[in-house]
This record gives sequence, C-alpha cells and structure tokens, in this order.
Amino acid sequence: MASRVLISVRVKSTPLRAFEVFTSDIALWWNSNPEFVFTPRSPGEMAFEGQTRLVERLPSGKVFEVGKVTAWEPGVRLAFGWRQATFTPDQMTDVEVIFEAVGAETRVTVIHTGWDSVPREHVAKHGMENGYFLKRHGDWWRELIDRMGERV
Amino acid sequence: MAWKRPALTSAVVYKDPRAALKFLEDAFGFEIILLIEGPDGSVGHSEMRFGSGAVMVGSEWTAEHKSPASIGGLMTQTVHVQLEDPNDSIDAHCERARAAGAVIVAEPETQFYGDRTYRCKDPEGHIWTIGQTVAATTPEEWEAQTGLKTTVFKEW
Repeated sequence: MASRVLISVRVKSTPLRAFEVFTSDIALWWNSNPEFVFTPRSPGEMAFEGQTRLVERLPSGKVFEVGKVTAWEPGVRLAFGWRQATFTPDQMTDVEVIFEAVGAETRVTVIHTGWDSVPREHVAKHGMENGYFLKRHGDWWRELIDRMGERV
Repeated sequence: MAWKRPALTSAVVYKDPRAALKFLEDAFGFEIILLIEGPDGSVGHSEMRFGSGAVMVGSEWTAEHKSPASIGGLMTQTVHVQLEDPNDSIDAHCERARAAGAVIVAEPETQFYGDRTYRCKDPEGHIWTIGQTVAATTPEEWEAQTGLKTTVFKEW
C-alpha cells in the first residue's frame, strides 16, 4: 500500500460541468506554485491534449508531458500520471479525480498517490518528510479546486 | 466563496481513526476534506467538514493523546455540533446517528434556550452533543424559567 493525499471540495455545478471545467479550462484556473513546479522553466500553460495526456506548454515553446490520461469518464472520473522533469524513470505519481453529485453541488475529490517513489532528498520534496509534504500538496490541491469551483 | 478552515478546530483522537472517519460520515454527515495516509495505509492526518465547522480526526500519536477507549471512557472535552441548515431535522439526525451505531445518551429534547439537542457516544466513547435552534427565545425568558442570570456580551 502506498501513501496518498486526498482532498475534497464542493463546487456549485453538475458533475459533468465540473469535469468540463477541470479538463477544458485548466489553463484558466490552474495557479502555478513555485513549490511544485514541473520543470525548471515553468510556469507554462496547462492543457489536456486529446483526452490522452496532460501537458504544460512552456514559454520557450517546448511542451512538457506531465502524464498520460488513464481514465476519462466525463462527469464521473479522471485519472492521469504526474511527473516532474527531475524525476527518474522509476519515479511516478498518479492523480485520480472523482466527481460526485451531492444535492445540487458536486464533490470533487482529488487523490494523489505515488510520492513514496520520490525520496525526501529529491529536489521535488524540498527536504520535507513525506507526510508533511503531502499536507502541503493537499492544501495546494484544495486551493486549485477552489479556483476551479469559481469558474463553474 | 471557497470554504476556509475555521479559526478553531477540534482534533479528536481515536485508536482507529479510519473507522472513525466512516462513522462520522455515516452518523453525522461529516465530509472528509483532507486525508493523508502513510505508506502502510495508516491515517496520518485528516480533516472533516460539517457546515461552517471542521474537526481533525487523528490517532493516538503521542503518549498524551488518548481515545476514551484507552482510558476507561474518560474525556476532558466534548464537541458540540450545531445544525445550521433549517431544512435539517435534528430528530432525523439522531435517528441517522443511532442507525450508524451511536449510543444515544440523551434523546432529542427542546431546551429552555430554544435549541433542541441530543447527546450521543461514538464507538470509542467520545461524547458529541448536537443542537438545532427551533424557537427564538430571549435571555429574559431564560432567566424567568431557570432563575439563572444571563449576561450577553456583544461581539466586538
């Protein structure tokens, strides 16, 4: 079993609309955080390409693949890989996003796993112990999904 | 408007925080908003939301953090939950809690101050009180009914 961080945020829309804003409008609500950059040349513009991968289009014109999409179920579930440019091939994390109707709202749950594969000494962890790192990362996810919720 | 952590949050200690997360969702309708699990699947940290409030649910992470289940059912604090949505029914809330395994210590009863409340114990023995304002009453009425003097301090 692997460690994971889970956050949940309610947004005022249907699950389908929340899914659309998450995927189609990610460039509008994403807010780059210097603590969790994908590449040394970030930030760029985030985009899901062809329902197959999540990328960051860098100011240099280069496109960095954050991860392949592994589940694309509009209004229900989205899953994709998540790696930073500094990861070795065996370092990989995964993100799963679940969209559930709760009354007139949608509960958006983000589950991020795989950070055990990245040691504390790695630049991505900033020397942080895994649990503390996950807490900070979870807080950032909450902030991101709050911003997404403002656009639904 | 995004939900913000309230200024005060109780951290409630359990021997089995994972079971507590499920119980608090089933019984009271609390919603997990943050959960951090260690490599062994243990609950490292968690936060649950209910209306404008929140609780943290954690393990006995130091020798000084104990569940009532570990210390003969004793506790030094209890958490009060106020139903904010007027469409909620406190009697229905109590039945939901009972069905989820809460032991009802005091059945729903309307208090002199206009709130209807019940009290229950969760599976590890924490006492929770749940209240809902069902009637508008004044401090003068409280005094007339109980003989207790009430001083209401205005907010800053």
